[in-house]
Amino acid sequence: MAKIKKKGQAGQAKNYITRTQAVKKLQLSLPDFRKLCIWKGIYPREPRNRKKVSKSATASTTFYYTKDIQYLLHEPLLQKFREQKVLEKKISKALGRGDVSDAARLERNAARPDKTGKPRYTLNHVIRERYPTFTDALRDLDDCLSMLFLFANLPSTTAVPAKMIARCERLCLEFEHYLIVSHSLRKSFLSIKGIYYQANIQGEDILWLVPYKFNQRVVGDVDFRIMGTFVEFYMTLLGFVNYRLYTSVGLKYPPKFDQLKDDQGAELGAFALEGLNIANDETKAIANGEEHGPDPKVQAEVDKLMQKLRDEADDKEPGDGPAEEEGEEQPSDAIDKFEPVAPGGDVLPQPSYSSSDPSQLFSKYTFFLSRETPRQPLEFILRAFGCKRIGWDSVLGEGAFTTDESDPSITHQIVDRPVVQAAASDEGDGEDNQTAQKLGPNGRYPGRVYVQPQWVWDSINDEELKDTGLYAPGASLPPHLSPFVKSTQGQYDPTIPLEEQQTEVEAIDAELEDANVEQGGEASEVENDMDVASEIDEEEDEDKNEEDEEEESDDEDEDEDESATLQRQRELEAEITGKLVQAADQKKVDAKTKAKLEAKRALERRKKQEAEDLERAKGMLSKKKRKLFEQMQYTNSKKSAEDMKLRQKRRKLEKEKERAKA
Amino acid sequence: MGSKIIDKKRKPREPESESDDELGNGLFDGVLSQSEDEEDYIPSDDEKEDEDEDDSGTEGTEGSEDGDDDEDDILSDDIPSDVDAEEEMDKLVNHGEELEITEPGVDPKPKEDDSEEKNYRIEKDANGGERYVYDEIDPVYDSDDTDAQGPVNTIGNIPLSFYDSYPHIGYDINGKKIMRPATGDALQSLLDSIEVPKGWTGLTDVNTGNPLNLTQEELELVRRVQMGLLPDDLQDPYPDTVEYFTSIEEKMPLSSAPEPKRRFVPSKNEAKQIMKLVRAIREGRILPYKPPEEREREEQEQEEVHFDLWQNEEPQAPNPMHIPAPKLPPPGYDLSYNPPEEYLPTKEEREAWENADPEDREKEYLPQKYNALRKVPAWGDLVKERFERCMDLYLAPRVRKNRLNIDPNSLLPKLPSPAELKPFPTVVQTLFRGHEGRVRSVAIDPTGVALATGGDDGTVRVWELLTGRQVWYVKLSSDEPVNAVRWRPTKDAFILAAAAGEDIFLMVPTHASVTPPLDQASRDILAAGFGYATNGQQQTLPAGKEPPAKWARPGTKLEDEGVLIRITVRSTVKVINWHRRGDHFATVSPTGQRSSVAIHTLSKHLTQIPFRKLSGLAQTAAFHPLRPLFFVATQRTIRCYDLQKLELVKIVQPGAKWISSFDIHPGGDNLIVGSYDKRLLWHDLDLSNRPYKTMRFHSQAIRQVRYHKGGLPLFADASDDGSLQIFHGKVPNDQLENPTIVPVKMLKGHKVVNKLGVLDIDWHPREPWCVSGGADGTARLWM
Repeated sequence: MAKIKKKGQAGQAKNYITRTQAVKKLQLSLPDFRKLCIWKGIYPREPRNRKKVSKSATASTTFYYTKDIQYLLHEPLLQKFREQKVLEKKISKALGRGDVSDAARLERNAARPDKTGKPRYTLNHVIRERYPTFTDALRDLDDCLSMLFLFANLPSTTAVPAKMIARCERLCLEFEHYLIVSHSLRKSFLSIKGIYYQANIQGEDILWLVPYKFNQRVVGDVDFRIMGTFVEFYMTLLGFVNYRLYTSVGLKYPPKFDQLKDDQGAELGAFALEGLNIANDETKAIANGEEHGPDPKVQAEVDKLMQKLRDEADDKEPGDGPAEEEGEEQPSDAIDKFEPVAPGGDVLPQPSYSSSDPSQLFSKYTFFLSRETPRQPLEFILRAFGCKRIGWDSVLGEGAFTTDESDPSITHQIVDRPVVQAAASDEGDGEDNQTAQKLGPNGRYPGRVYVQPQWVWDSINDEELKDTGLYAPGASLPPHLSPFVKSTQGQYDPTIPLEEQQTEVEAIDAELEDANVEQGGEASEVENDMDVASEIDEEEDEDKNEEDEEEESDDEDEDEDESATLQRQRELEAEITGKLVQAADQKKVDAKTKAKLEAKRALERRKKQEAEDLERAKGMLSKKKRKLFEQMQYTNSKKSAEDMKLRQKRRKLEKEKERAKA
Repeated sequence: MGSKIIDKKRKPREPESESDDELGNGLFDGVLSQSEDEEDYIPSDDEKEDEDEDDSGTEGTEGSEDGDDDEDDILSDDIPSDVDAEEEMDKLVNHGEELEITEPGVDPKPKEDDSEEKNYRIEKDANGGERYVYDEIDPVYDSDDTDAQGPVNTIGNIPLSFYDSYPHIGYDINGKKIMRPATGDALQSLLDSIEVPKGWTGLTDVNTGNPLNLTQEELELVRRVQMGLLPDDLQDPYPDTVEYFTSIEEKMPLSSAPEPKRRFVPSKNEAKQIMKLVRAIREGRILPYKPPEEREREEQEQEEVHFDLWQNEEPQAPNPMHIPAPKLPPPGYDLSYNPPEEYLPTKEEREAWENADPEDREKEYLPQKYNALRKVPAWGDLVKERFERCMDLYLAPRVRKNRLNIDPNSLLPKLPSPAELKPFPTVVQTLFRGHEGRVRSVAIDPTGVALATGGDDGTVRVWELLTGRQVWYVKLSSDEPVNAVRWRPTKDAFILAAAAGEDIFLMVPTHASVTPPLDQASRDILAAGFGYATNGQQQTLPAGKEPPAKWARPGTKLEDEGVLIRITVRSTVKVINWHRRGDHFATVSPTGQRSSVAIHTLSKHLTQIPFRKLSGLAQTAAFHPLRPLFFVATQRTIRCYDLQKLELVKIVQPGAKWISSFDIHPGGDNLIVGSYDKRLLWHDLDLSNRPYKTMRFHSQAIRQVRYHKGGLPLFADASDDGSLQIFHGKVPNDQLENPTIVPVKMLKGHKVVNKLGVLDIDWHPREPWCVSGGADGTARLWM
């Protein structure tokens, strides 16, 4: 006879452990346990069968894997936590004795990371354990960056020490510097939550969110101790990631940090990157171009471009893209494009390949940021896409290429202020204003392009310079679309014209509606007709399958009869009033609408048939599969309903626009 | 000593009287001195008083000249108190008197100032003896006593404020007014208040009315008294005892031992301790002391050390149990600060969103449009969202969910197209009306031209199938309904079996297709058994036992109609099923207890009861279409018996509560079961004794199920909800493939009467036609 198995001795009951048990086993306090879990990346599990696992009756228990907790038992950090606990006990004992000086001495010895921002322990080994390879670390960088960028923008409180904020800010700026140097920023998106950035580092896509530069409101019950634990881990992680990234591009980490410049609000400009080799130890201070002055070649190009821009300013052609050098056949290691010479061969797909490097999108231009524009994101994006010379108003902080708005080398000025109506009249004497130090509210320096900030974002997302005419100050901007959405078949896509994505039924409906509108005053008859149609539809619904065909022919007959009688009546009316009968015209319209109606009816019939088939097929599924099927259908239909709503809204808007135009 | 006290008591009296005598003298003295004093510090206001005093003063001056040198000395000693002066006077007077009587004698205590003169006189006491009366000792307090000074106010213990409205502050011992000292002008008092003089107490001397100033020593004294200490701090109240002799007896105060070596050699223990410290310093356990501020600063300056953490990285296969945290979804179009306008919510949508509970909202944001970047505000919930993400990362249980990213239609079974499924019956072709009451049973003859029906009215009718014309009619019973009609399944004869009550009738109906030879053959088959029965059966039957059935001729009236044999069994027969050869048929009478199932042999006119005992009530029974197997359905199970080996082969358990009917596929391996609990079950007999498919498409009980026997993959069921359902059920030739079952048609037409709908169906032997008999008294041909 087999040994009798006891309950709770093997299997799931042994694989899982509740949180209380885990805390007891580790001899930790709950906050320490939480910290350890956050750092070590240990999370609760949902057992397949709670009943088999749990010994207690309470339903809301958190379960961990026993193996995970066992793994925690060997954690060196555990010892640190215990030491801290002992120290705290000593302090409280000393205070209990009334021995304040002793308590103060012990207190001095205690590490207070929440105050100093620097603990006595390091999390290096934890990071190495959690991310065995650098790619793993990159893969998990999304949350890290979002968190650190958020903390870099938080006000300092007792829960969030200023030291921590400063360190977050530094790490973030260092990371941005790497992105600028390596040109690995890919996309960015202005959302209502903040600015999303996407970078591609060593093949990994990293997406993070940076809040707008405002004081962050802390609402709800937010426990900053938990957030602080995460931030502590993330700071260490980003430090090591930055080190690796910097060394991979031949830079020294940490870069030189100029406290004075930082105090003056230089942000990115406060760092000076140094090469790793001692030989070429010239610090690549953030290149503003001011050291080497305007390069004559660049200057010539800029001049040429400005001339071109000036020429094109009148007819607003979207031609102010980069002047591409053509005709030079240089040997390169890029992939050659294979074009089929003769028809008939298969076309093999090749990796996409554009003539212009997106990372050098802005390299030829000099930008000037007006004081109402957000300097930090613009500076970061422009630099990441190759721009070397960015000037801004002195109120925006230190580190500008120029703070003089009238600098002649500026090719683009980013403005975000409304056009003042009153000053529109003296726009003509812009030439005179060039000499003047200050411009009027609507004054423009000739020879430069004025754009709104969205132009920068749309340009980098499409990897080409957009038509600046659309983004002129005061112009109503084209919609800013998320570059992260991957369009799937059948989903609504605002970039595609409506006609290409609407369903047949919708198209017919829309056309019918159009016809209605066109006919205007005479619409009443058609409506009448439509009413008939709808009645017929209802009848059809009630009908049996087999009787459909016969009935339908009847309907059509009726339809014709009705239209004939209508026609006759109309003719009579016309005779009475003495007008010419527009019979031919009328007939044409009628025929058209009728054809449409018929098409619609056919479509509906087909749909009904399909629905019936579906119902039949569903009957053959097992209960479980049927449930699954219904669930899937539910979500699909919900999605498609959403899309349909969007299409409807768009159709309405387009129609309104047309009407406004007419 | 006692005498001295007496003296002292007596003495004050004596001078009093004397002073009274010489009042003028004493007074003069004091006046003189007082006037001098007054001149010193009291500017007199009152002339009259002054004059009075002057008068008295003049007298005094005269008198004072009488005093001796000593007196002058005393007066010139500038002692202002006239009380003192008066006392002096008294003493002097006494002295004078004493001087007179002094005699030389014993001088017990020579006095410094009284030189060689005797300070006693000898008197006679009461006994007549000698008595030395010593002089009053003059302590000469005045000479160096500085305490008593100034005029003494005599007003007693009353507040000085009583005199606030007077120019004086009291009276001296002589009844003279003590004038209020000058208070100075306002400026002075202001200066005083600003510049606090040394020893200032804020009190007023009661005697003089001047501000009372105390010296530092006096203040110290007051403080010590207040503290309850000794007033004199020089004196130590508890000095150490000085022992002027030692209590320890020293035996040998001196040692002659040589100095030990350790006095000259460095200590080993100390060296050890020092080495310990040195080692600790070397190892960095002891750090040189730094002031805490400096240490803190250093700590802060210390940069975090960075190095290449992934220098020797080696990719590890991820733990199969590890579930990485899912990434947040990327933002969509509607999150843009300037989205396409169709993403903006309408008014109703906005309201619905705002009114919804934050937890119920599908999205935590409403799309919004700003026409310029500068107008975009901060996102209020950002910190909260981040926090929730953090909570999710560490507290949310992670479960791997397989997201089925497939087309839901791929789940649907591949069904043959309806065109492939054809032919199947779709419409009602012929209505057979004639029965009164329900049509209980229908059957199409093996040639497919005639339809037999049996009903509640006790009649059996034969109809021409296509036209619906009734061709033959017989009333079998007047009170019992005809429960079952079944044709003998071979074409060589035209025999119909019908059950009404406990009787089973075998008949040969007249029909257009029945030629006389066929008719004759049929009659011969039925008649063949009569001789056999009379010969054989009696022999086998044990004596005293009633035969299970009685085979007989039904009587001439029925025989004329064509009903040739009547078999009477013990209870009501509900089901008749023929063997495929047509020689046997089985009947089931559910109420028949032991003899509920009976197998009748036509050629021998023999009835056998195969089961001595049945578990459960028998519902129906049938022969296997190919093999010698016999199926009996009880309420819950269907049992399969081998007729040759006479043993139980299989028990099929459909899982239904109450089986109503079943039918065996002509291939022999499949079985359909209908049940009163609305289920239609398909069994694959090779696969399992559990159902392969369960179909529940009826809302009421299923009465009858039938396979098409003529090669078409069809089966149908009849239900109490008045409908028939036609299924396409194809059994593949390949053993490995499963049968495909497709519902194809629901035939509705029968009316439900008394909760009974369609009671029986039968398929045409070749065509895809079926006939149903309903409770509404009609039979219908569907094609």
